[in-house]
Parts: sequence; structure tokens; C-alpha cells
Amino acid sequence: MSKPVVHITNLNLKYRNKPVLQDLNWTINANENWLVCGTSGSGKTSLAKAIARIGHSYSNIETSFNAQSSLPALAYYVANWFQFKDLEGQSNFYYQQRYNKQSTETTATVKAELESFGKKHALQFNEVDRVLAALGFSELKNSTLIQLSSGEHKKLQLVKALWLKPQLLILDLPYNGLDVLSRKNLNLLLEEISEAGSQLILISNETELPSCINRIATIEEGKLVEISADERSWNDIETFDKQVPTFLSEAVVNASSEEIIKMINVNISYGEKQVLKDINWEVKAGEKWVLHGHNGSGKSTLLSLICGDHPQAYANDFHLFGNKRGSGESIWEIKERIGLISPELHWYFDPSATVWQSIVSGFYDSSGLFCDPGYSKKAQTDELIHYFGLDEYKNTLMNELPLGKQRLALLARTIVKNPELLILDEPCQGLDQQQTLHFNKLVDELCKNGTTLIYVGHFESQIPGCIEKRILLENGEVNSVEILHKKPILT
Amino acid sequence: MSNYFNTLPLREKLNQLGVCDFMDSSEFLDGVNALKGKKLVIVGCGAQGLNQGLNLRDSGLNVAYTLRKEAIEGKRDSWKNATENNFTVGTYEELIPTADVVINLTPDKQHTAVVNAVMPLMKQGATLLYSHGFNIVEEGMQIRKDITVIMVAPKCPGSEVRAEYVRGFGVPTLIAVHPENDPEGKGLAQAKAYCVGTGGHRAGVLKSSFVAEVKSDLMGEQTILCGLLQTGSILSFDKMVEKGIDAGYASKLVQYGVEVITEALKHGGVSGMMDRLSNVAKVKAFEISEELKDIMRPLFQKHQDDIMSGEFSRTMMEDWAAGDKNLLAWRAATGETAFEKTPAGDVKIGEQEYFDNYTLMVAFVRAGVELAFETMVQAGIKPESAYYESLHETPLIANTIARKKLFEMNRVISDTAEYGCYLFDYACKPLLADFMTKVDTDLVGKNFNEGKDGSVDNRTLIAINEVLRSHEVEVVGARLRKAMTAMKSIKTA
Ligand SMILES: NC(=O)c1ccc[n+]([C@@H]2O[C@H](COP(=O)([O-])OP(=O)(O)OC[C@H]3O[C@@H](n4cnc5c(N)ncnc54)[C@H](OP(=O)(O)O)[C@@H]3O)[C@@H](O)[C@H]2O)c1
Repeated sequence: MSKPVVHITNLNLKYRNKPVLQDLNWTINANENWLVCGTSGSGKTSLAKAIARIGHSYSNIETSFNAQSSLPALAYYVANWFQFKDLEGQSNFYYQQRYNKQSTETTATVKAELESFGKKHALQFNEVDRVLAALGFSELKNSTLIQLSSGEHKKLQLVKALWLKPQLLILDLPYNGLDVLSRKNLNLLLEEISEAGSQLILISNETELPSCINRIATIEEGKLVEISADERSWNDIETFDKQVPTFLSEAVVNASSEEIIKMINVNISYGEKQVLKDINWEVKAGEKWVLHGHNGSGKSTLLSLICGDHPQAYANDFHLFGNKRGSGESIWEIKERIGLISPELHWYFDPSATVWQSIVSGFYDSSGLFCDPGYSKKAQTDELIHYFGLDEYKNTLMNELPLGKQRLALLARTIVKNPELLILDEPCQGLDQQQTLHFNKLVDELCKNGTTLIYVGHFESQIPGCIEKRILLENGEVNSVEILHKKPILT
Repeated sequence: MSNYFNTLPLREKLNQLGVCDFMDSSEFLDGVNALKGKKLVIVGCGAQGLNQGLNLRDSGLNVAYTLRKEAIEGKRDSWKNATENNFTVGTYEELIPTADVVINLTPDKQHTAVVNAVMPLMKQGATLLYSHGFNIVEEGMQIRKDITVIMVAPKCPGSEVRAEYVRGFGVPTLIAVHPENDPEGKGLAQAKAYCVGTGGHRAGVLKSSFVAEVKSDLMGEQTILCGLLQTGSILSFDKMVEKGIDAGYASKLVQYGVEVITEALKHGGVSGMMDRLSNVAKVKAFEISEELKDIMRPLFQKHQDDIMSGEFSRTMMEDWAAGDKNLLAWRAATGETAFEKTPAGDVKIGEQEYFDNYTLMVAFVRAGVELAFETMVQAGIKPESAYYESLHETPLIANTIARKKLFEMNRVISDTAEYGCYLFDYACKPLLADFMTKVDTDLVGKNFNEGKDGSVDNRTLIAINEVLRSHEVEVVGARLRKAMTAMKSIKTA
């Protein structure tokens, strides 16, 4: 029998001085494709990085590759998070930057990025086009990195990996931010490279998986435990009985008007490229909307207008909270009334703030905390920290926490001021199934008090029950607006 | 026109140099009200112009841009910047006559021409705003008596002014009212409101004067900020190459070293930076920086004297008139130095290694920061102003060297700063020639601690720490940094 591809004996691993993996053993043999699922913070990412030898190389992880194979003999890791720098090697970006015309030319184009990747790994350029097409990425070749949305960044990472076809491909939360169609196509592409000889380790809590996955495991108490497909069903969901903090059950004040958002023929374009076309949309106080559309359909641009983050708001007929934009209001007066979470906000958030600071900063809509919040704000923050089970991380820096915990902290930040308008753009990215359920329950709870909601989510399972209306964007245009009577079906 | 400062009697000179008041946040409670509903017209849409304007509009103010005809007709970058962000753009004739506030954000060298062109079009009682006072102070620009003249000067590049604003913060800012032009007494209220509009009030505002801002700004940029960083970089690189250190390594150590080393200044001042060294290295760095201070003191004093007397700006304006002859020659010569021409090697240098292997730069930075600060304070500039123009800005400039070496630094800073930087550099290098003959690779290129047992005398170390920590730049700095604790790692972009 040939040597196992990965052989791990008694691996012990700490994450910021806390043990996460303890005497973990794992053997991956030829032709095996693994799914690793389980709760957030259980050590999945640490394990994946260790196998790919990122940052450190462990003597108790042996990898052996097939010398006969034409595929690159390496373990390639696709991170759960994308990273890029500007042309001068800096990554000091802010999330609104992609909407500012003059700031987008300082990062490389997708094309240049792919060319340098291809060169580095001696890849054939004619092979990348098919992958690009399958993930709906071809049109973005001339975009610069900063113009991409988080879902598009994810795709770029995947395009590189699928083009490379390493002998061992490790994908950490690959479906995050992808729309339904892209998820399907990703699975087909993964099946294809598996056929061609790549082996997969997939870290995900998704249920729609490539058919080649033939082993499933979770990490429990620092050890790898193999489970059967049936055991993946979520029967271990704890009942969650913590009381919603009282300040959140107070009715929100819709101070000014019944009309929260009103857009009349709103158009946004960058040079020749029109990203929003003649958008007409009205949202009334207390309504719960879901905003649907494929990656690149214009969703994040639409939301950036509402949040005061888009400079072209000033050139459009567009009313927020009853006032026309550009009639003397400041963006801080707008932001004060909105609780926002989005993948971009998370990505650009100040990583050197503590959990506590990050949550309080929600009162000021700043990325990081710049002033003393005073007693009542502190007290509300502490209540929320407790509610989200983050007590022990209160003073931990954001960048020292796994993704799921960072996300919980930012969700707490989103609601800490009990805002009249909640904008939840893929709020549950990086959360496990249980955390998602709990968060959705909380959203339902909040919405009983008159909060207006705009929800974006590609995963049907993650959409809260209170949604009653849907707007569908396609290529920057409103495709349909409808009233829903049951849970929405995704296209 | 003659130098404004030189027309003042001594007492008034000292008065204006001494305007310096770190403002309490309660002074900004009125927000942008003093400018609400007023028409703000910005002349020029470059680094400061565009970013200040985006912030002002997002703060609920009415902003438009006026550009020179060529820029509009040629659809230059400045025109694109403004129109693509949906601002109204027009000629001087179209926009200036209705403006309540005209904001001059063109390059300093153009100020006289620009102001001469716009002033006749300005309405009675309007306000003229600058972000730097050179034109008023050094060129003695006379502004019509009905016009209010104010300054709001962000102490950061324009891109940071925007980035910090949208993060919910701002950049430290100086504000001032020109005492010759405040006919209605509204100058300060408008300057404060403008400062709120750009977000500066969140990061600390120093009430200053045109005179204090110009004299301290010129001094800082010529000596510690640009001049000494350039001299130190070139000398360090040449020394390493002379002593047989790999040129790629030397280039990388120098290019990125200043940034890493001065980053420590941001957090803990000069003593924080010195604390990054081992005890033996700290003692050594202290000794040589004392020596450096003695050698360079006369040069720092000469620069300050020439700035105060107007001699500096007089010679520089002569060079402007001569088509930038000296500036261009010096710029070309800098591009030809071995340091500029040697690309950084593909070697990994750890963060601590930059301190351990580059003790010389730590000594240069300490000497330069303290000297610049001391010289300014001796000349009548208040410690808070001197702090901003020395220690505070050093890491911001060092960051530009890390990006693309001296070329980048000199590209980003103003022509005035660049001119002063070369002036200093050419005088400083010969001054340090003897000193440099004694410098070996333990101070630059290799780990200073190597082969030493690391022990130091307790009393010596305590005495050194005491001297470092009790320096006035540290005392003032600790207070100002506390007021700006929230200031994140601000970088030039
Ligand atoms: N850079 C900094 O870090 C900084 C910091 C604080 C204060 N400041 C001050 O801010 C002011 C502007 O500096 P900046 O760095 O923003 O300059 P900049 O980026 O060079 O922009 C200058 C703008 O002025 C226009 N312009 C140039 N010559 C002109 C002329 N003769 N008439 C009319 N318009 C002209 C340019 O547009 P066209 O050439 O297209 O016409 C451009 O839009 C200066 O007073 C400077 O001292 C700068």
C-alpha cells in the first residue's frame, strides 16, 4: 500500500496560548476526500494551516505526495479570509474605499493578479478561462482588487486554487459569500479536479457538498472524530434560554417618518460601467425585507447608498428617513440610526481593537473606539457581551480570535444601540449552525419592536422567519419586488 | 509684497509665535453650525482638496470646486476627481462670486497667482481659508480688509484625512486666524466648524497662528523630518557597503528600518524607541546621540535662524524665479545615490532585528527629534507646536521612505520641504564626516549585542533613562498622545 498522503501523530497545537488541538491523530489515504465540520473555534482552521505548513512546520505531520503525478506536489490552503495589498505593498484600506472613484486604481487588476500567480506556479493560461467562466468571473478581469465584493474575492481565491490543482487542496469555508449558482458550480469543479487526482479537505458546515466527499469528521476536545453522514444532522442544538437584554426589547423610535428609504430612478456608474440602473424602491418603517441577487448584481452598492458610504448618493433622488440626501444632513446622523454588518465591514474593521471596544464603537459607528462612552453605554455593552457568551473574550483583541467569535462581536456591535434600521448583509458568515439559529431568533425578537430590517443572505437556511418582502436585483436593475407569505425560495 | 513676519515689532513676533492652545473637545460642541448653509468653494482638487471636500460634504456642508480653465478644458485629474464624485465644478468666474468661504488648496508655490486671481471675484465679507500659511507669512500676501483669513491645517496627507474620517475619527489639526484679517471676529468660529467638518476635532486640535505654523513647519521638515532622515539613510547605506555588508541587505535595512524604528515613537516617544534596544545598545545609542547633538546643533540653529529671518524663503523664492534650478539639480543628484539605485534584497529582516542591527538610526532619530524640538522652543515656538512638527510627524515621513525610498519621500512632501531637505542634507553630510569614520558595523548592519556580555552599570542606565524621560519633548508628548490615544497607526497612503 502506498504511504498515506497526510499522517498526523499526536499533534498538539495552541492558538494564542490556549490549547486547541490535543494529541490529535489523523491519516488521510489516497482517494480520500474529507469534510471537517463542527462548531466555530474548535480548531479547524488551525489544523488546516498546520497541514499546509503555514507559519510553522510540525514534525508530527508527515505529508507525502505522488511523484508520478503531473499535479503540483503540495498542500495548498485557501483561507477563510482574503488578503490583498495595494501596489505599494500596503493594506491600510477602509471599507468605503471601493466606492470612491479615485481610490480604486491603487491596487492591481484581477488580470495582473492572476498573471503573477500563473507565472509563479508555471500554469497554462488557457486553462484559467474555463474556471473563470464557471464561477461567473470573466467580466471582472479588468477590475481592480479593491473594487471586488467579498464574494468576488472569495471566487478569486477559488479560481487560483482550481487552476493550480494541487495534490492536496484544503478549503476553509469556501462557500462563504457565494450565491447559489456559484456554489453549485464550485462543487462541480471540485468533483472535476478530484477526478483528475487532487484530494480535498473541505472545512464547512454546508450540506450541499461535492459528491466526491467520502469521509466526514469533526473536532471534539482537540481530537479528530470521524462521523457518518447521518450524525451530521443537527440534533445536538442546545435550547437557548438566555433572556434578550431588556434595552433591546424597548420599541425603537421611528422619530421622523414612516418612510425609511425612498429611491427614485437611482443610477450609479463608474465611468462606462453602470452598476445600478433606475432603481425605484420604498421601504416603510417596520418592514422586513430580504435583498436577493447574484454576486455582482449590485447589492452592496445599493446598501452602501443607504449607509451614507457612497459619494454618488449626492447626485441621485434619494430619501432616507424622510430627508433628501444632500440636504444638509451629515453621514453620522444617518449612521446613528442604522445598525450595519457586512462582510466588507468585517474585513476592514480595526483588528487591533478589543472585543469590548469593538462593540461599544457601534454607538459611534466608528471602526475602533475613540472616546469614553460613559456609564449607560458601557452597561448595555456588558449585557450584550454576556448575552453573546463573549465574557471571557471581553479584553481580547479582535485579531486574536477565530473568525466566528469576531463575527459574534461585530453582530453585538450591530445591535448595541437598538437601531431603527438593521442592515444585515450575510450576518452569519463564519458562524456555525447553532450560532446562526440563535442569531436569527434574536433578529426575530428585535423585529417585534418595530425595527426595520434589510437582510441579505445566499443561504436559505440562514434567513430569519420574520421576513415579509423581497426585492431581487439582477445586473443592477430591480428584477422583482414581492410580498412573501412563507420563507423565501432562492433562485 | 514683503515678508509679513519681518514687518512685525519684536513683541508682536513673539506674541504670534507663542499662540498655542490645545483645545478641549467641549470647544467643538457647536459642530459645523458656523458654516451650515454657507457656500464652500475649494480651489484645486488634489490630495488635500478632494479629501477635505469629501469629508465636508459628508458632514452636511455645501461644497463645490473651482479649477483653472486649463484643468477643466483638459479634463485633468483634478477635474475628474471632482466630477466623478458628483461635485459641482466651475471656473473662478462662475463660482467664486457667490462663495461664502473660498478654500485655497493649490500648491504653495502657486498661491500668490491663485489668490491674485480669485480675490477680486470674492464677495464682500467672505472668508479665505488656507491649509498652510507660507503665502501669508513668508510672501506677505495682502488680503482685502473685508475678507476673513483663516487656516485649518491637517497634520497628515490628504488620503489619511479621508481614511480616518470614514473610520469615525480624524487627524490632528492646527487652526489659526490671521490677526490682520478678522474684521467681523468670526474667524475662529468658522475655523472650528471647518475642523469639525473634516473630522479633525476628534483627534486633537491645536489653536496656533499663521506665523507659528509656518516657522515650525519649515523647521521640522528641513531638519528632523526630511533632511536628517535623508542624510542618515545615505550615510548608513554607504557605511555598510564600505564595510562589506551585502548591498541588498543594507538597502533593505535602511529603507524599512526608519519606518520600524520610528513606529516606536508613535507609541512611547523617544524613550519608547530607546527602550526597544538592549541595555548595552541603549547606553551606546545614548552616547553617540549626545555626540551627534553636539555636532549638529549649530546646523539646526542656522536653519532656524534663516527661517526666522526670512533668509530661507528669500533664497528659495530666488530658486523658484530661476525655474527651480537648484531644486531640480539636487533632486537628480539624490536619485543617483547608491542607496536609491540599490534595490532592497530579498532577505527577511525581523522587527526586532531592525533595532538591533541599526542602532545608528535610533541615535540619529533621537538626536534629530530632540534637537529640532529644543531649537524651536528656544526660538519662541511653544512646546506643543514643536512636538507636532518634530516627533509627531517623523513616523509619517519615515513611512514614505519605506514605500519607495527617498524618491517617494521627496515626491510626497511639498516642494518647499524638498528644497529645505536638500539644503540640510548638503550641509549635514560634511559635518558628520569625522563622526562616520568611527562608525563600524556593530552600529549599522550587524547585531550590536553580538559578542557582548550584555551587562551595564546600574547607575549609568538609570541616569540615562532619567535624561531621556525628563526631556520636555517626552513630557509634552505624553500629554498630547494621551489626548490622541485613539489615534490609530496613521499611515501615508
Ligand atoms: N500634502 C500634504 O500632506 C499637506 C498637508 C497639510 C497641508 N497641505 C497644504 O495643502 C495645500 C494643497 O496641497 P496638496 O498637497 O493637496 O496639493 P496637490 O495635491 O498638488 O494639489 C494641487 C491642486 O491645485 C491645482 N493647481 C495647481 N496649480 C494651480 C494653479 N496655478 N492654479 C489653480 N490651481 C492649481 C491642481 O490642479 P490642476 O493642476 O489640475 O489645475 C491640484 O488640483 C498646500 O497649501 C499644502 O501646503 C498639504
